[in-house]
Amino acid sequence: MSFKEQLSREQIRTLPLRDAIALDEHTVARAAIALMRTHSLGCAVIVDPGCRPQGIFNEQSIIRMLMAGVSLDTTAISAFADPDVGIVRADDPILFAWQAVVDQGHRFLCVTDDEGYLIGLTGQRGLAEYVCDCYAKQIAVQRLGSAPWMLQREGA
Amino acid sequence: MSSFFRMDPAETCDPLSNFEPAEYDTELERALAEDPIAEIDAKPYLQISPHASVLEAVEMLHDSGAASLLVVDGEHLVGIFTERDVLEKVVEKYPRVCGQPVENFMTTNPTIVYQSDPSAAAAAAIAVAGHRHVPVLDMDECVQGVISPKRMFAFMQKHF
Repeated sequence: MSFKEQLSREQIRTLPLRDAIALDEHTVARAAIALMRTHSLGCAVIVDPGCRPQGIFNEQSIIRMLMAGVSLDTTAISAFADPDVGIVRADDPILFAWQAVVDQGHRFLCVTDDEGYLIGLTGQRGLAEYVCDCYAKQIAVQRLGSAPWMLQREGA
Repeated sequence: MSSFFRMDPAETCDPLSNFEPAEYDTELERALAEDPIAEIDAKPYLQISPHASVLEAVEMLHDSGAASLLVVDGEHLVGIFTERDVLEKVVEKYPRVCGQPVENFMTTNPTIVYQSDPSAAAAAAIAVAGHRHVPVLDMDECVQGVISPKRMFAFMQKHF
């Protein structure tokens, strides 16, 4: 089975999903940033009262805020959020997530149930981990570091 | 002692006679294991001096839409400054630190890959080590680009 067939057969729910930071649109930026730092996550999802994704406040939003010179304490995240949220359903094929990342340029994808309720987050990182699981014999054996491999050798 | 190395030609054999090349189930497996990182599109990329200010770095990220800057002194990589560094180290105290040099806030000793490494090494840096931006160097340690997950996936897609 080719990798593309595999992507078409397996569902997004099999990807490693992360817990999303779901916030109200009126949340101030400083609070959202504190949560993103605490959870080491590059985005917060703006949701409506039904917990459906409405926008995404991410690291690029933060850069735009800094350049605009606005206060983190009084500016709502909705003012700098991106309304173009990547949304996939948990029972969609992984190929949908792949296309959203590679073709549409989304870094994060909100994963929802059939009702549109936010249940998690995936994206570039989730797909990269999936690829690593699929091709562990090629990927997981690689040396990593900031020094040339000849300086990383261990033992005699 | 010189006769020590003398061999009867009849006793010599090809040391590679038992070599069996690796076999792969798919073209993608082969590409990950054998195609060098030079095959992955690693350009364009942005670089900045370590002595440039945080303000300049944030402006470059904003104006370009890029998510990372390679911090280069002369021709050599000394660090990387990314959107994540802005989130972790800069944003909450930006008015106080925007005039400071970017070298105070960059990530030093980033995980790097060489152009001659197999492409799977870039995938490992992204998937195993969890880095979003992996600088690519040549054998002279000069910067040749940066690989992101999107660029890695685009490479893989050519070999589906």
